[in-house]
Amino acid sequence: MILAVLFANLEGNILVERFNGVPAEERLHWRSFLVKLGAENLKGVKNEELLVACHKSVYIVYTVLGDVSIYVVGKDEYDELALAEVIFVITSSVKDVCGKPPTERLFLDKYGKICLCLDEIVWKGLLENVDKDRIRRLIRMKPPTDF
Amino acid sequence: MAQPLVKKDDDRDDEAEYSPFLGIEKGAVLQEARVFNDPQLDARRCSQVITKLLYLLNQGETFTKVEATEVFFAVTKLFQSRDIGLRRMVYLMIKELSPSADEVIIVTSSLMKDMNSKTDMYRANAIRVLCRITDGTLLTQIERYLKQAIVDKNPVVASAALVSGIHLLQTNPEIVKRWSNEVQEAVQSRAALVQFHALALLHQIRQNDRLAVSKLVTSLTRGTVRSPLAQCLLIRYTSQVIRESPVNAQTGDRPFYDFLEGCLRHKAEMVIFEAARAITELSGVTSRELTPAITVLQLFLSSSKPVLRFAAVRTLNKVAMTHPMAVTNCNIDMESLISDQNRSIATLAITTLLKTGNESSVDRLMKQITNFMSDIADEFKIVVVEAIRSLCLKFPLKYRSLMNFLSNILREEGGFEYKKAIVDSIVILIRDIPDAKEGGLLHLCEFIEDCEFTYLSTQILHFLGIEGPKTSDPSKYIRYIYNRVHLENATVRASAVSTLAKFGAMVDSLKPRIFVLLRRCLFDSDDEVRDRATLYINTLGGDGLVVETDKDTKDFLFGSLDVPLVNLETSLKNYEPSEEPFDINAVPREVKSQPLAEKKAPGKKPTGLGAAPSGPPSTVDAYERLLSSISEFANFGQLFKSSAPVELTEAETEYAVNVVKHIFNRHVVFQYNCTNTIPEQLLENVSVLVDASEAEEFSEVVSKVLRSLPYDSPGQTFVAFEKPEGVPAVGKFSNMLRFIVKEVDPTTGEADDDGVEDEYQLEDLEVVAADYMQKVGVSNFRNAWESMGPDCERVDEYGLGPRESLTEAVSAVSNLLGMQPCEGTEVVPSNSRSHTCLLSGVYIGNLKVLVRLQFGIDGSKEVAMKLAVRSEDETISDAIHEIVASG
Repeated sequence: MILAVLFANLEGNILVERFNGVPAEERLHWRSFLVKLGAENLKGVKNEELLVACHKSVYIVYTVLGDVSIYVVGKDEYDELALAEVIFVITSSVKDVCGKPPTERLFLDKYGKICLCLDEIVWKGLLENVDKDRIRRLIRMKPPTDF
Repeated sequence: MAQPLVKKDDDRDDEAEYSPFLGIEKGAVLQEARVFNDPQLDARRCSQVITKLLYLLNQGETFTKVEATEVFFAVTKLFQSRDIGLRRMVYLMIKELSPSADEVIIVTSSLMKDMNSKTDMYRANAIRVLCRITDGTLLTQIERYLKQAIVDKNPVVASAALVSGIHLLQTNPEIVKRWSNEVQEAVQSRAALVQFHALALLHQIRQNDRLAVSKLVTSLTRGTVRSPLAQCLLIRYTSQVIRESPVNAQTGDRPFYDFLEGCLRHKAEMVIFEAARAITELSGVTSRELTPAITVLQLFLSSSKPVLRFAAVRTLNKVAMTHPMAVTNCNIDMESLISDQNRSIATLAITTLLKTGNESSVDRLMKQITNFMSDIADEFKIVVVEAIRSLCLKFPLKYRSLMNFLSNILREEGGFEYKKAIVDSIVILIRDIPDAKEGGLLHLCEFIEDCEFTYLSTQILHFLGIEGPKTSDPSKYIRYIYNRVHLENATVRASAVSTLAKFGAMVDSLKPRIFVLLRRCLFDSDDEVRDRATLYINTLGGDGLVVETDKDTKDFLFGSLDVPLVNLETSLKNYEPSEEPFDINAVPREVKSQPLAEKKAPGKKPTGLGAAPSGPPSTVDAYERLLSSISEFANFGQLFKSSAPVELTEAETEYAVNVVKHIFNRHVVFQYNCTNTIPEQLLENVSVLVDASEAEEFSEVVSKVLRSLPYDSPGQTFVAFEKPEGVPAVGKFSNMLRFIVKEVDPTTGEADDDGVEDEYQLEDLEVVAADYMQKVGVSNFRNAWESMGPDCERVDEYGLGPRESLTEAVSAVSNLLGMQPCEGTEVVPSNSRSHTCLLSGVYIGNLKVLVRLQFGIDGSKEVAMKLAVRSEDETISDAIHEIVASG
């Protein structure tokens, strides 16, 4: 299960937060844990360089893209490798939508599209689509090219 | 919530100046959402409003029921628009709002229409939305369409239906299970993702059908799997099939091993890892099978990608727990990971090295770790400290460098949990490695000179009081202890006074000097410190001369409080100041029988400080004192063993009763701890009627009635039996609680004068062989075994029949014998097919017994056991064999 996908800006403010199967009372804890993890480790990290951590039996893969940090949390079959795949799809799609690693402003400008991409990538905790070109077409309601 | 960006320097991009959501406010956005009701829809504007709503929801904002309903109904109006982009947003918005069952109906027809649309993408999205918001009844209506969708030629439609199926399987399994033919067809799809989703769903549908899973795996391992994700799933399912099928007895080959090994050469890293992990987790994996997996994992240790390094070291760390030798080849690569920027990777590397390292590499490793410790977080440090503790217990000869390491890190900065982990480790090492004692105690003394945690200071002072007087030169610790009296807060000062008194009691030559110090404490500013000093000066006696301290004083100082604190607190609260002093002997000794659920809570790890691992002696002491205070039992002699309380009632019944079995040489006493949980009742003349017809060797001699059992105040009644001397007689006893019940007026608390006799059936109770065995461990089993000698050794072999696992067999035999597992041998490595477990105990008559159990398990889970017993008396060795033979 992919437990959470979270985007934050450089100051650690949340831009997008989507949880699956995480009780409401634990979300705040996760949010602050992830933001702290990013604050401690993401300085000087190159775009899309993946960092990894585990907290109890839960895995976290996170990275930075432009002015935005991205965190993906999973457990069981969504271990560090599967999450690396998920975050790769997310970063490629966000870059695709924004045309480059986004500034915070650009990210917010494309907010609606990014939400649609996330909707195509993760569905209630399961990975659904993995190809950015296909996702780009799907959010515009166009069938995939390989079909 | 995201802060709007403030104006930055002029040279920044203009675009970065303002957030499009600057000053966004829920009320205003909800107002804006009224545009959804416009007769002429502005698709662009509507999309913008939906984006704002999504932004609010993604920030954790919530809508009230009324607000959500209003937005939902407004959004449904947007189905009138033909704008494709807006329709996509509408689908997402409906999912985000997750409308309630009574609201869903409003969109059902629109979604059904889309689901039958000629435009594939409408179909796919409508399926996803419908399945998200649907309930069972609607699902049966749309089932036909979903089955068609699963085999739709458009992969997006098929995937939408399959992923919906995975979710719906949780809520409506019987419906989804009917789709297995279509799903089976989808598994053969040429579209990679369709195959992946179909495989996941098909396995979930059939996971309880072993044969079907086996067939699925067989056909797919021969065919083509199109995506790495699906290949990973296939590897997982293959492992499951391998677990459930026997190894080929002739060739020793494992079915599907070749497939797993082949996957190690796959081009996707994800697949390679999955296969390597599957191989390392095979039950009873051999080193030949393990080698190729370890080799690929070793390559990944030097990957440039942190995720791959992490995955590799995490897997190897797991392997090191069961097959440390297999991982030693990777040690050099792992050592270079100690300096990895990612601290999770570095910590995993270190803990793996600590498991695989040999005695000669300990010093080198410790040097590397020292540099590493300064720049990791406390949570990682704790993991390392725990690994070092295990390493030290594994190589006791290396205690010096490991203890030095622990004392060095103890001096550095760190939070409470970290410091506590270090102190606990030092205490455990002191306890288990006699040579480490004096040095270890001095390290602890130095630590309390500058310790900011009151809890740790008091714990260490307590430990010093017990261990310090037994060292060769106890006087050297006094300075550190007495410094506390000058420099610390009242809690620590009071502890220090108690510790001083313990030295005074145990070391006669120090007594006069301790008296001087204690007298100085009489002028302390704190009541408790003064009270303790006064108490100890009076109890130590001898007026400060070099005289031996009497036994009672030692008992008082070193014995633990035999009254449960809860009961003492209740009694003190109930005590009304009067001429009559408070009598501690009147406090009930037994803890209220606890609800079962509470007892099942996972036990804390032994912390090291406090009681010895073989079980708290204080409880035994308390029982001994309690029993000896009862005249009927006074001539029973020395208490051999008291069992843990056995519950005789279910949780939350009217009367909660548990029983403790006290074993004497010629007697057994059952102590029934009873609690009355009904406020409106008072029980009197409480006794337990025991039927011992299934315990022939026992005859009842005494039954001690409990006069009164008021609400929520535990009390005890006893029944004693005589049995043949020194014989481990066993039997089954049925129990009936008998009492007179009186009504109590809840307002006044007064009981009626008249009562009614009543009975309450309790569960049966058994006296078993393990009751005659004390769990007493030995620190070095091999030494103990050899010094016992083979004269009274008895060896025999037993078939234990089919068992779930070796772990289960080990715990069954240890529990049957009631002995203490030594040197951690009760833990069976996960894939082992053979295991040796060492047990030690003291048998009734105070005779030491050592047991060596060797287990083996074959492919059909049949367990064979070789039991070797050594004891001081051959009849005892025979008796142990008899217990096993009859158990």
